[in-house]
Amino acid sequence: MGYDWDFAVVLRDFDLLLLGLLNTLKVTGLALLFGVPLGLVLALCRLYGNALIRWPVGLVIEFLRTTPPIAQLFWFFFALPILAGVEINPFEAAVLTFSLQSSAFFAEVFRGGIQSIERGQWEAAKAIGMTRNRALRRVILPQAVKRMIPAFLERAIELMKTTTLVGTISYADLLFRANQIAQSTYRALEVFTIAAAIYFVVIFACSLGVRLLETRMARSGESTAR
Amino acid sequence: MTEMLRLEGLVKRFDDLEVLKGIDLTVQKGETIVLLGASGSGKSTLLRCVNFMEVPSGGRVHLMGEPVGRDGRGAAISYSERDLVPIRARVGMVFQHFNLFPHMTVLQNVMEGPRTVLGLPRSECEARARKYLDKVGLGWKADAWPSHLSGGQQQRVAIARALAMEPEIMLFDEATSALDPELVGEVLDTIKELADEGMTLLIVTHELGFAYTVADRVLFLSAGRILEEGRPEEVLLAPREEQTQSFLRGHGRFRLPETPAQEQA
Repeated sequence: MGYDWDFAVVLRDFDLLLLGLLNTLKVTGLALLFGVPLGLVLALCRLYGNALIRWPVGLVIEFLRTTPPIAQLFWFFFALPILAGVEINPFEAAVLTFSLQSSAFFAEVFRGGIQSIERGQWEAAKAIGMTRNRALRRVILPQAVKRMIPAFLERAIELMKTTTLVGTISYADLLFRANQIAQSTYRALEVFTIAAAIYFVVIFACSLGVRLLETRMARSGESTAR
Repeated sequence: MTEMLRLEGLVKRFDDLEVLKGIDLTVQKGETIVLLGASGSGKSTLLRCVNFMEVPSGGRVHLMGEPVGRDGRGAAISYSERDLVPIRARVGMVFQHFNLFPHMTVLQNVMEGPRTVLGLPRSECEARARKYLDKVGLGWKADAWPSHLSGGQQQRVAIARALAMEPEIMLFDEATSALDPELVGEVLDTIKELADEGMTLLIVTHELGFAYTVADRVLFLSAGRILEEGRPEEVLLAPREEQTQSFLRGHGRFRLPETPAQEQA
């Protein structure tokens, strides 16, 4: 009747899971590191570029947002080496794919954040003699970024979960390791329960951290508009 | 007398809508000009053309004796952002909704222009910011966040922020319209002080009593033109034009009596 849980078998390979987690964090971290600044650049191109920049950039963003991440991953891993004649390992393909993919999402988060700032802020900056670039840097972006934090966190969580696709090109992330252990121990239920728990702990801890940051900023009075 | 501002045949169109239809105006140093008119008469647009928040569609703006913009092909004048940015730094503007930077403290708000636009050293910016905050009576709020101030205080900080650029002309675009009635006075006092010190001011306001007290000249705008112009007692107390008269009647419809009415026995 009842399933006989046995975590001991699985916990013997816990260090393998941790190694997998490390790889998951590596891909996620690098994708954020490259994806966020690239997202800002894309957003600025889409908002303020001339038509020759705006349209292609918009198309790229929409393409990256609407195609399945796994198709992108396969494309960069299998097609790019053939087309460009460069060798690319699973790790590089993963970082490349998820940097580009998340940059498209972050571009839209940035765009929404920037557009949410009242026109009066632009005008006040302009009225004291700021150029558009300076107004953006000193007045608009600092406020926009603050408003973007929840959406930003949401995207980062989504990204970390999407990186589980890297297993399909044999990159040994947390889920890939879990799968391996499941196959060798025949304890799939236990392994995937633990793997899920690890994702939960990591992501939940990050969310808590960000929420703490938000409340601290709110308390300083700084984040309240006007 | 030094000429600070001269508008020649100023025209502003938004698409098909002509908001300003040829404004001629000369303002001397130290003058206080009040612009009156119904909403849609073009008074705010006129103000916004002076510091090039809006770029004029026709006519010419001379600031501090210099024509602004370059002669382009034909009658068109071309305005490049590069030329307009330093002009905005010399003409201060105060907005209806204050528009303080909410992510900066009061002091940082006032320091921002001198620091990043004028590029002055930090210590000098801070000294300057404190000086102008003291001037508007808010030196003690230097470290507060804008969101913790009353509307009147926020607007006074906005005035200090504009003054910290040490502009040659100040523009007030309905600076008290968004304030609770009891907070209007403190802002008007601050503006009046500037007028008394000889600052050149262009003021759009609905406060007729204030206009009467502070203005050297009152302009009444209607449908994008200056309909009537003169000393405050002329325009406000003895207007010639029918439109000015009805505008003033509308504003004065409900007025408190000068002396309390005798109580009925």
